[in-house]
This record gives sequence, structure tokens and C-alpha cells, in this order.
Amino acid sequence: MRKRRTLPRPVRPVRAPAPPADRLAADSPATLSLKAAVASSDPRLSRFSPLSRILFFDDFDDGFNGWGGHIGNYEGSLDTMLPAYRDLRPPMLSTIPMWDTGSVGALDGTYALKLATRPAAGSLAVAIKRLTWRYAGPIQIEFIFTFKPEASALELLETGVRAFGFAFDLQAGDRDPAPRERVMPHLRYLNALDGRRMEKWQFKRAVEPLRDVGGSGKTRSHFHLAPSGWEDVPDGGQQLCYNEIATKHNWYYVKIGFDLASMVFTAFRCNDREFDPAGIAPMRFPAMPNLSCMLNPFVWVEADGDTRAFLYIDSIVLSADVDA
Amino acid sequence: MIRRSHTAVVERNVRWSGTFATEPYEAAWASEAAFFIRTLKPGTLRAEAAARVQISPDGMRWADEGTAVPLLAEPGVTFGRVSRFGGWLRLAGELGPGDALTVIVYLVLKE
Repeated sequence: MRKRRTLPRPVRPVRAPAPPADRLAADSPATLSLKAAVASSDPRLSRFSPLSRILFFDDFDDGFNGWGGHIGNYEGSLDTMLPAYRDLRPPMLSTIPMWDTGSVGALDGTYALKLATRPAAGSLAVAIKRLTWRYAGPIQIEFIFTFKPEASALELLETGVRAFGFAFDLQAGDRDPAPRERVMPHLRYLNALDGRRMEKWQFKRAVEPLRDVGGSGKTRSHFHLAPSGWEDVPDGGQQLCYNEIATKHNWYYVKIGFDLASMVFTAFRCNDREFDPAGIAPMRFPAMPNLSCMLNPFVWVEADGDTRAFLYIDSIVLSADVDA
Repeated sequence: MIRRSHTAVVERNVRWSGTFATEPYEAAWASEAAFFIRTLKPGTLRAEAAARVQISPDGMRWADEGTAVPLLAEPGVTFGRVSRFGGWLRLAGELGPGDALTVIVYLVLKE
């Protein structure tokens, strides 16, 4: 059993997002009204609550939409990669097929993005999409998702999934005032740990050690998904609709707001629960070379035992205020 | 309409010895697939060997599809092509005593 570190430091208060000094023309009330009308008339979009500008709307009936596998940094040989990064499992498109009832399908359409671990405790599967931002203002990401272990036994298997999570990897622009930072907001739902049900949301602001990779001095790596350093979201316990056998799935909604100007959380919601963003904080550390304006959302799932853990995502919306 | 395709890396820098199998991969959207096995560094292979393509109704119980992908002891690439495979794909095989290979395995899918 791994020894876990807790970090009982207080979270600093959230600053209100700074009004953008260089913002492009904001949408007029008439434009906002028209956008809202269009969004609400589209059943696929009306289940989301995006900010004024949608940066992407990914429905996995249309393909992978740029969500690919993740890998650690390396130099000269794949053997130089930090061991924890070597076997992050890649995404696939799934009809969510069950041995007893056949395909579940997506919330609408046929396919969901699927992450599947190996059948080993601590095995991780990660999908990431890599963008850059244009405007340092509020952004928001929303997911329709579900999770389950592989139905490898005729049991509830409610502790098969250790955790699943949602995160960003962000960095300031190259001309931004010091201190320029790389910022990584991480949120995970800790479903189970070492066979015990946990059912709570956690965040991580502890920064894992940066290690040199290769030897040229150009490449560094840190394993930010390590099991250490996770802290409980205040009042973050939440029972989800796991359902009654391992082959039944219910879809969930999660929304995460973040401000690229102040680099603080602005919102966090899962289904009927709205969590206080003042109680959660991201990893922050000095900016690194070659990552200016990085905007990488990523998702993951982790196994708790010898059963594969699955995370399915029906659709994702990334939105921003005004321009980003 | 351009056909959609996707390349998945189902094993990367993994060492195979004894009995091996790639993780189950769902590909019901694709009508054709090619497995590529690239040997990354010199290995040990004392007799001809191959990985078998397998298919499954549920990702847990597997049957040989009939296609074999040869394995190479020295760095190089081999492949095997399949179609009409249903929803799941993987490779499985066995290496002889003392044999070992380090490989990267690609699954290239197309509508």
C-alpha cells in the first residue's frame, strides 16, 4: 500500500478575473441573445452552458477530434522517459459494448471516446488535445461522461476504478509580465483506493519534481499524475449513479471554469453539486521553454486493482469569454 | 467524403517474452485494419514466430481471426491486414524459452 502525503495548507483566496484591457469587441446583447437561441435550439448543444464563444464542440460520433494518446518527454531513446509515463494507454472510439446486453452507445449517436487502463492497480489511460490560447480570459470546459470497470466478473466491481480526472496544462504568453508561469489545474474523482470506496473530488497543487531527461539540458519531465499530493475539494464528497451491476451506465455532467489572466479556478460543478472554486487551486511553477500560450485539456482514468478501468466521454465543449 | 482513419499505438517500447497479448482495442467504426509490428532493437528469436490477430464479441473472450503477423529479431517492420472483424482487435502469441523482442505496435484503422 502506498503511503500518501497530505498537504493541509490553506488555499489562497480566489481573485476575481481581471477585466481584459485588450479585449476585442465584446458581443452585443443582441448577438448574445442570438447565440443563446441557436445553442438552445440544438439538442446536442443545449445540454451545455458554454461561455460566449465556443472554441470546440467535440462529439465523438465524428471521430477523435484531436484527442490522442499522451506520452512523457524523451531524448535519444524511449528508454529515457520517466517510467510512469511509459505505458499511458491510448484512447479509442467505443460503442460501450457489454457482454450481457450489447452496445450501450453514446448519449446520442453511436460512439464515445473511451479510455481503458491495463488490468493492474495504478495503470493509467490518458487522452489529451493540444491547443494554444489567444486571449487571457475566462475559459470553461464541459464534459458528458461515464465510467465503469471492465465487467470481468459477475459482481458489482464498484471499486475497480480508482479515479478519473479532468485537467488543463497552461502557460503564460512569452511577453506576459513576470512571473510567467506554467499552471496545471487538476481535478479528479477518487472513486476507490486500495479496494475501499472513497467517492470524493480532489485537486492537486503540489508540484512533482522536475527531472532532466536525456542529457542535452533541453528536456525535462515531471509526472503530475503521481498519486502523491492530492487534497480533498472542500465538501467534495459526492455519490454518483454507479448503478446496480457492472454493465449499466449512466451519463454525468461536469463543468470546470478557469481564468487564464489570474490563473485561478472560477467554477466547478458535477451534476447537481456546485463546488466553491475558492477552495481549489492548480499547480503553479515557473514557465518552461517552448510552451508559450499552451492550452491543453486532458482527461484520464486509473485502475485500482486487477480490473481494467474505463472512462467514456460522449462530448466536450471548450468555451471562452469574448475571444481566446 | 474523405474516409476517416486513425493510427493507435497499442504497445510502445514493450518487451515481449513468453506468452503475450496486446490490450483490447475497440474499432467497430473501421472496416479495415492493419497491425504493424516494429522491432525496435536487436532481440532473440531462435525460430520463426508470429503474432496472431484475434477478435472478440466483448473484449474479454478471444478467437483467432486467421491472420498472422511475422515477428523479427532485428529492427524492422512487419504487418498483417484484416477486415470484417466486428468490434474488437488484439494480437496474441507465444515466444519460445529465452526468446524476447522489444517492439512498438501500431493499429492503423480506416472506415
